[in-house]
Amino acid sequence: MEYLNIYANCQLVKGANMSLLCDLQMRRFYHLPNDTAEVLLFLQQYSIDECIAHYGEDNREAIAGYVDFFVSRELGFIDDRILPELTAMELTWDRFADITNVVIEYQETIDYTGSFFRELLDQHLEGLEIRFYQPVALPELRELLALFSDSTLRHIKLVLPYEKSLNIAALDELVKKHQRVKSLLVHSSPEEKLEKIFSNSVPVYYFTGKINSCMACGEIRAHHFTVNTELFTESLRFNSCLNRKLSIDQQGYIKNCPSMRENYGHVADTSLQAVLDNKTFNRYNHIRKDDIAVCKDCEFRHVCTDCRAYIENPQDIYSKPLKCGYNPYTNNWEEWAQHPMKQAAIEWYGMAEIIK
Amino acid sequence: MSKKILILSQSYLESTTDQVCQWMDYLKIPYLRLNGEDFFRFQQLSDLPDNTETAVVWYRRKIAHFPAEFSLKQPDFNSQYTMKRFLVDEFNGLHSFLFHSIDAQKWLNDPLSEKNLNKLQVLQLARRLNILTPFTEVVTTKTKIMALLEQYPALIVKPLSECILLEDTERRAYKMLTSTIDQKSLGAVPETFFPSLVQERIVKKFEIRTFYLDGVCYSMAIFSQNNRKTTDDFRNYDNHRPNRTVPYKLPADLEHKLDQLMKILRFRTGSIDLMVDMQGNYHFLEINPEGQFGMVSHPCNYYLEKKFARLLHQSVLHEKEIHQQPENKENAAPATVFSEAE
Repeated sequence: MEYLNIYANCQLVKGANMSLLCDLQMRRFYHLPNDTAEVLLFLQQYSIDECIAHYGEDNREAIAGYVDFFVSRELGFIDDRILPELTAMELTWDRFADITNVVIEYQETIDYTGSFFRELLDQHLEGLEIRFYQPVALPELRELLALFSDSTLRHIKLVLPYEKSLNIAALDELVKKHQRVKSLLVHSSPEEKLEKIFSNSVPVYYFTGKINSCMACGEIRAHHFTVNTELFTESLRFNSCLNRKLSIDQQGYIKNCPSMRENYGHVADTSLQAVLDNKTFNRYNHIRKDDIAVCKDCEFRHVCTDCRAYIENPQDIYSKPLKCGYNPYTNNWEEWAQHPMKQAAIEWYGMAEIIK
Repeated sequence: MSKKILILSQSYLESTTDQVCQWMDYLKIPYLRLNGEDFFRFQQLSDLPDNTETAVVWYRRKIAHFPAEFSLKQPDFNSQYTMKRFLVDEFNGLHSFLFHSIDAQKWLNDPLSEKNLNKLQVLQLARRLNILTPFTEVVTTKTKIMALLEQYPALIVKPLSECILLEDTERRAYKMLTSTIDQKSLGAVPETFFPSLVQERIVKKFEIRTFYLDGVCYSMAIFSQNNRKTTDDFRNYDNHRPNRTVPYKLPADLEHKLDQLMKILRFRTGSIDLMVDMQGNYHFLEINPEGQFGMVSHPCNYYLEKKFARLLHQSVLHEKEIHQQPENKENAAPATVFSEAE
């Protein structure tokens, strides 16, 4: 008897019509019809022959095709039994910091050396995104990046407007000196292109569009989907957009995300501990994708970035991201901005101008 | 003065230590991390960690690079190498003083047992505990190899000590790995040679790397058979088709024997390498007591760095014999207060 053993880090997520097989190790996903997913679930308990007997001889070829697909993609292997020693993966998530990711909307008048920032850097931060809406000079940028030199922060992403003086050579030198900078996005650029600096290790994305406010954020796109154990497990229990994340907006106000209205004080006179202890600050953390309308029926829910700032119904925090055009019931991607059901929310957020 | 957790590690390329330390910071567990590089700032012997101040020691690494330079009056490749060896010995002379000055029972792994670990002895111990091991022999002649190939279709040869990295004059690196000897490759074997460790070649279904942490086995299966490149040794990575690594549970009986083996060697932590043959038998290969565990922890989502931090903490509490409740952050009630916010 032959059995298909599916690797524990290949997780199946069922949607309304389609399922997503997430290969968390190889960081890839496979979009499958739910019928196929059913067969795979059956094969996790029964032999291939029993599966064919169950679904009928007519389906022999299809079932053999699924098995071949799994074996050829190295998502599983065939053995004379289901190996019980290949245990399920524990899908827990935790991190050694109360804040893992930070977005700063840079403003030259704000003092980034104050006690709030020192407290923040004592957290073992994973990522920091610094957004510049206005042009910035190189010395200013260097000075800012030097603030993170002695921290355990791992990654910095810079979002900068196009500036002639910030040419590739200058950026290369900057990134060599500040090796936490792992990617750059240059907006308002004369052309769209991708360059790589620091021996091809750091991408610089040039983008012709203008980023001059946080209202451009929150788009749900297939190319933003990320398949890995970290995001998948966090998403099962926590909000993948806001859990343990913090932002400082252009005015120096502390928020969950720059795009959200409520703030938890100003960096000049607030302690990080006070923000962490603020129950309101933490209220989004436990909104899982499994709790959000429509998203709960979407097969992409645990590889998705989510967005709690711009939602279809601004009065219902459990409603779907406004800027998502995917319909899990029809499995079609539509232009969200044109969707008649979304016009009221677009109006409510005042983003009609931005999305033209 | 309160007793400390002492971590001996290095400044660079040590993400395992870094992550354990980050967990300890988060869980508010005090510790002292001493990197080999720090020894170059000491002024006197009394700057070394003291036995009475130390509750528990985790010895992970010695040093990455010596922050020291030297020049020879007469430049010569061999002297250069001898000098480097000499500095390693000099540094070890100081570093291993800690193995004696801090009580042996405070170390997670007995430091002298770890330092003197012998592959052949470990295999012998395993066999005594009725753990299956591959047929192992140390041989010096081709005649003997040919005789063994009558009994086993193929043999592997691997170092009795540890694999090394060789560099040529252009600084290209050559990795030493396990390789196979069979009828086909026999021609390359000289009549007599340096005493070499050979083992029967196990046709493996997959390999297992177990991280042993204070009595518990956290195992991972490594599927590399599909990749011909890694058939002998999974360290021979293929970046395009990486090995599949998934959680695995060893049979309780084997876990029990491995626990006994680790206890005999006085190791509370370490990596254990095993192989599973096509019939499903487990073959014990070796122990790496200072093994890094990130390669098991992350793919299997075991959070071993956090468990390790907790183990160090428990060891301090045990040493103090104070049974106080450690601060437990993650059990704090989650803040879901939607009703009052909206």
